[in-house]
Amino acid sequence: MFPKLDPLLHSELRLAVMSILVGVDEADFTYLKKQTGATSGNLSVQIDKLMAAGYITVEKGFKGKMPRTTCKITAAGQEAFEGYVKALKEYIS
Amino acid sequence: MEKSKEQIEEMTAAKSLSLITETLNNSRRDILRNSSKYFVLWGCLLTVMSLAIYLLWHFTGSPKWNFLWFAMPLGYFIAAVMGRHDKGMPQNEIGRILGNIWTVFGVFSVCISVIAVFLVPLHVTLLIVVILGIAESISGAVLKNWPVIIAGFILGVGGALVAVLVKSEAQLLLFTLGGVLLAATGLTVKYQYR
Repeated sequence: MFPKLDPLLHSELRLAVMSILVGVDEADFTYLKKQTGATSGNLSVQIDKLMAAGYITVEKGFKGKMPRTTCKITAAGQEAFEGYVKALKEYIS
Repeated sequence: MEKSKEQIEEMTAAKSLSLITETLNNSRRDILRNSSKYFVLWGCLLTVMSLAIYLLWHFTGSPKWNFLWFAMPLGYFIAAVMGRHDKGMPQNEIGRILGNIWTVFGVFSVCISVIAVFLVPLHVTLLIVVILGIAESISGAVLKNWPVIIAGFILGVGGALVAVLVKSEAQLLLFTLGGVLLAATGLTVKYQYR
């Protein structure tokens, strides 16, 4: 019996965002957009979904005079990501 | 032939794992490649400063030019200005560890210099070249890069020996070598993560 994959993470863009955030302290929206190649609108929607699930936190602030949105993975997000990778490995092995 | 649900899920799982690996690697590579410019900055600064002080001391015969070393922390301001152009580049564990290693090196160097100048006479060149070598080797270990580890060892251990054998301004050339090695470390990191 295969474990159920977390549907929230089983989406290309959300998984890419989580994969970036799992390896860094925090990342701003511009960096995530550049790394994933997503459009601003789509990325915003996916970030909101991850935030609503408690997988990431989003902070809006300013860097100098420029607005800056910073995303950070939470402990719950880290745990979900690890569980997801573990489940994927079981599918493959 | 129609694929079973398990086969489709297996392919999706493989694709997902591949996406995770690729994204993690890309992000790690970008961050480390970006950090390489700070190695180059400090390496160039150390090379230029040590050569300038060496030449000034050599041609004027005055060791007072060593006070110019206290201008080295200016490098932090240059680094801060460079950091503004990073465009939201995040920090990861390795980048933070490297930053901490070199911050500790900077603090130790300044403190040792202040003690040597104002409190008790210490062999500043010997002490700083040893900790410079240690910082370089630890950076190499963090980066899993043997040439950097060995360069640090040669600089620290060989430099300590040379610092004792060589007198006055010629000792400064050890820092020139250290600066070149530091800049070379930066270029190695840039090459390693291009």
